[in-house]
Amino acid sequence: MFNSSSWEVGPILRALMRNKVGALLIAIQIAVTMCIIVNAIHIILERQELMARDSGIDEANSFHLISTGFANDFNEQVTIETDLNTIRALPGVIDAVQINAIPISGGGWSMGLQTQPGAEFDGVGTAVYMVDEHVLEALDLELIAGEAFKPTHVRWRERAQTNWPDQTIITKAMAESLFPEEPWQQVVGKTVYINDNEPILIMGIIDKLQAPWVGWNNVEHAMLSPEKTLFSSSRYLVRTEPGRRDELMPKVEEILAESNKGRIIRDVTSMMDTRERSYRRHGAMIKILTTVMVILTVVTALGIVGLASFSVNRRRKQIGTRRALGASQSAILRYFMLENFLISTVGVVLGAALTIGLNIYLVQAFSLDRIDWYFIPLGMLVLWMVGQLAVFGPAKRAAGIAPAIATRTV
Amino acid sequence: MFSYYLRLALLSIKRNPILSSLMVAAIALGIGASMTTITVNYLMSADPIPHKSDELFYVQVDSWDPNDPYDEPNEPPDQLTWTDANNLMNARKATRQVAMASSGAVIEPHGQDSKPFNAGIRLTFADFFPMFDVPFLYGSGWSESQDLAREQIVVLSRETNERVFGGENSVGRSIRIGGNQFTVVGVLNHWQPVPKFYDVTTGAFNETEDLFMPFLLKEELELPNGGNTNCWKSPEGDSFKAFLQSECVNYQMWVELPTERDKQDYLAFLNSYADDQKALGRFPRPLNNRLSNVMQWMEIQEVVADDARIMLWLSFMFLLVCLLNTIGLLLSKFSGKAAEIGLRRAVGASKGDLFMQHLVETACIGIAGGIAGLGLAMLGLLGIGSLYGDFAENLTSLDLTMVAVALLLALVSSIAAGLYPTWRACNIAPASQLKSQ
Amino acid sequence: MLKMNNVTKVFRTDLVETHALRDFNLHVQEGDFVAVTGPSGSGKTTFLNIAGLLETFNGGQYHLDGLDVSNLSDKERSRIRNEKIGFIFQGFNLIPDLNLFDNVDVPLRYRGFRSAERKRRIEQSLEMVGLASRMKHLPSQLSGGQQQRVAIARALAGEPRFLLADEPTGNLDSKMAHSVMDLLKDINARGTTIVMVTHDPLLAKQARRNIFVRDGKVSELHEVSAFAEDETAASKVANSKQ
Repeated sequence: MFNSSSWEVGPILRALMRNKVGALLIAIQIAVTMCIIVNAIHIILERQELMARDSGIDEANSFHLISTGFANDFNEQVTIETDLNTIRALPGVIDAVQINAIPISGGGWSMGLQTQPGAEFDGVGTAVYMVDEHVLEALDLELIAGEAFKPTHVRWRERAQTNWPDQTIITKAMAESLFPEEPWQQVVGKTVYINDNEPILIMGIIDKLQAPWVGWNNVEHAMLSPEKTLFSSSRYLVRTEPGRRDELMPKVEEILAESNKGRIIRDVTSMMDTRERSYRRHGAMIKILTTVMVILTVVTALGIVGLASFSVNRRRKQIGTRRALGASQSAILRYFMLENFLISTVGVVLGAALTIGLNIYLVQAFSLDRIDWYFIPLGMLVLWMVGQLAVFGPAKRAAGIAPAIATRTV
Repeated sequence: MFSYYLRLALLSIKRNPILSSLMVAAIALGIGASMTTITVNYLMSADPIPHKSDELFYVQVDSWDPNDPYDEPNEPPDQLTWTDANNLMNARKATRQVAMASSGAVIEPHGQDSKPFNAGIRLTFADFFPMFDVPFLYGSGWSESQDLAREQIVVLSRETNERVFGGENSVGRSIRIGGNQFTVVGVLNHWQPVPKFYDVTTGAFNETEDLFMPFLLKEELELPNGGNTNCWKSPEGDSFKAFLQSECVNYQMWVELPTERDKQDYLAFLNSYADDQKALGRFPRPLNNRLSNVMQWMEIQEVVADDARIMLWLSFMFLLVCLLNTIGLLLSKFSGKAAEIGLRRAVGASKGDLFMQHLVETACIGIAGGIAGLGLAMLGLLGIGSLYGDFAENLTSLDLTMVAVALLLALVSSIAAGLYPTWRACNIAPASQLKSQ
Repeated sequence: MLKMNNVTKVFRTDLVETHALRDFNLHVQEGDFVAVTGPSGSGKTTFLNIAGLLETFNGGQYHLDGLDVSNLSDKERSRIRNEKIGFIFQGFNLIPDLNLFDNVDVPLRYRGFRSAERKRRIEQSLEMVGLASRMKHLPSQLSGGQQQRVAIARALAGEPRFLLADEPTGNLDSKMAHSVMDLLKDINARGTTIVMVTHDPLLAKQARRNIFVRDGKVSELHEVSAFAEDETAASKVANSKQ
């Protein structure tokens, strides 16, 4: 039985105006809480999106390690050939490559490629991965156009060597950045320039491979260069059959260390750990913001409970009188719920303004993205609900106050 | 009188245990959250060498590409080329000067049971140790003449000395590094400036290096590049020497200039040096040389992470909510005491007396909240430490200053929160509460 | 109108049972004006609470306006309070945050009247107690007598058949008390049944009938015409015993 007269909006508002401070305190708390929660959720989602990006390689089943030679009689070229043959022959290993940098690991090599020769033209930045013909299998890359490297393409690179092989395979994103006017399929066979005027032929395109730097704007830009390096330290990336990574990591380390005493094997790390480390600060931020949100909501809710309990206590006589005058228990419950709803409404309207304000500041000061519009009504809804849930206990207690209290003096 | 107020405060706190503990909890949470982020920000933005941070200057000269600045809008490179590092070192125009680079090599300890391991190397000059007040456990740094003679000498970190020599005084002993024999001249005591200001190019809060050796050994022993190497044109030739002579930047340089005049003179020297280089066909960009003192350099390198600043602001807002909460709860509590206040007024207490009485009560709650908040801040820092791992290892310790700041913040904010409720309470008319109605 | 047969009310704590009312019998006719007196602790207030459906009772029967109210739900009791009973309290019980208009409005809201109807009734009843011009004032801006008149207006606005007054002049000086009593008599004259609880025999004398309660029982019933001097003495003795 709905009846407008039982929704005492007018009298509640007028009564609230006589008690502005308490109501305002709650409204501001709700506003600030909403502002923090909405912006925190926005940051969390942004970070989650960042962390959900695919590096392009078979992260779950891959690991990498470094082999550093130190002995005077250390023959690097022979060691690398032997190591790769040994690893590739191990049961459970799908493939392995020597690679100068590990995707999403934080450290690597970048170069600029340009479509016209000459120092006066700008290049497009790209990560460089120096790899041999096993790269597609070892990194689980899909060649979507052109040709893969053949053993004949792969050369040896000395430490201070500056020139480049004649061919490259690039990512689709890199192809689109180099030639924005053309469909990426047609980029195969084109010549681009490295070191201002050294020509390189694009012989193939892979679907996806991320650069080593997860915070880089051009993280999807990568080029594969067919060469093995003689830099005295070598990185190997090993891809195993599903589920065999953990068993093979110590095994590979041991075999390599035993096979040659003139070098050390170090930093044996799974790709999952590499990812965790690279994204750790984002993961940490997510956890911290989540904690802050939860605690803040609890604090605000407790504040509402505290103030509502107090206001119920202060109004015991009034509640008894209302009951005596014919208010049912549900009318009393409704009164306090409605009162809280009205206070919350002021709070969430204020909160919407604050939220947008803080977001504008974050956008300017920390180049975050703008929040989506629907975050605001969602945030308002959540805070309304928090308020209603928090006030329910005290309101229920108010409804339980005996009408006979009205006739009690003092 | 104060002790009387204190007793009244404790009585009043005990009388409303739930309300009181809610208030203490609210203040503690607010203080805990803010102190956690304040500490992280404080340590990130700390002055790592306070007594001389404005006498130490990071050197930048613009040797970059004529077509593009190193960084927008017109920033000179953040490191030097090998050529410039050596020219500026040889000029000796500052009180002290060090050029440096990072590198790495394998150490082969004596004895069969200890395995070779990879060590981080700081290549630097003799002035490094006195200039940055590096503490020694054994021995000392090396001399300028040893720099120039390219002697194979090394200063070990305390940890490296533990690992290789079991912590003994190893001065004079030999150690095999990267296939070469070195002589130990010194062992550092524990040294971890926060931020690691002398080289922030690969992270401002990294560990200090495992060993320190003369800079020129890089050329002598062809040591690999550590850190970031940036080139605007490729080296001319494929030899190690060609790389060193290239326009690639990989070296940092600091100078010590005690007075403003020294600084002006040094900047003038840098400018004339740049002109000399232009005459030789280098430095194609307009004159753009910089000297930044330690704190300026930390600012330019944005050592304080954005996330830490975002969290700082969020935690202040968090504190605000907690304080609003406390104000509300105090209002409730004091208005419940209206009868008592009316009675006290009636028997002659002045407004000032009542104000003091309630302020003492508020302060008690504030201090309790502050102490609990400190505990929470320690938990928070532990949490941050475990979430960020070794990135934050040096950023999560509370020092005495921070403890004092926490207590002060708690006291000030709780008293600020208590002012309005107290004022309201004290304005209760003496007679109004004595009637039964 | 109001019919109580052997109504019993027992308060229990862990240690003791207190019989607040025992075998309480009372019949009040339509249009009557009954004053209930008795020393404090005699069960006056308990009687008032039960009569006004503010409290339940343990035994006996209570018919209000022909309806057995012994086993009603809380919700039904609320509705009956709202529709049939008007309350006047010793402490006025006005809601301090609401102005006179909103105070009188309170029971009408629970009744579910439309806004125009509520407005008409509020104005009419405030008019009746002579405070129509101060509708927007807050209770604290009025004297005690005026506040009690507002409370009476609030009690009457719903046009109850039955008015319950609890020491309606207890907090008023004699002049104000007089005018409030005159108002009550006036209301009774228009046909509203009134039951008034008071400890003041002089006040009770102004009702049509007096009931003296002692130890939770109706001990004496008087028509006011038969009111005797010695009754005052008896009540004084009872008081001094407390």
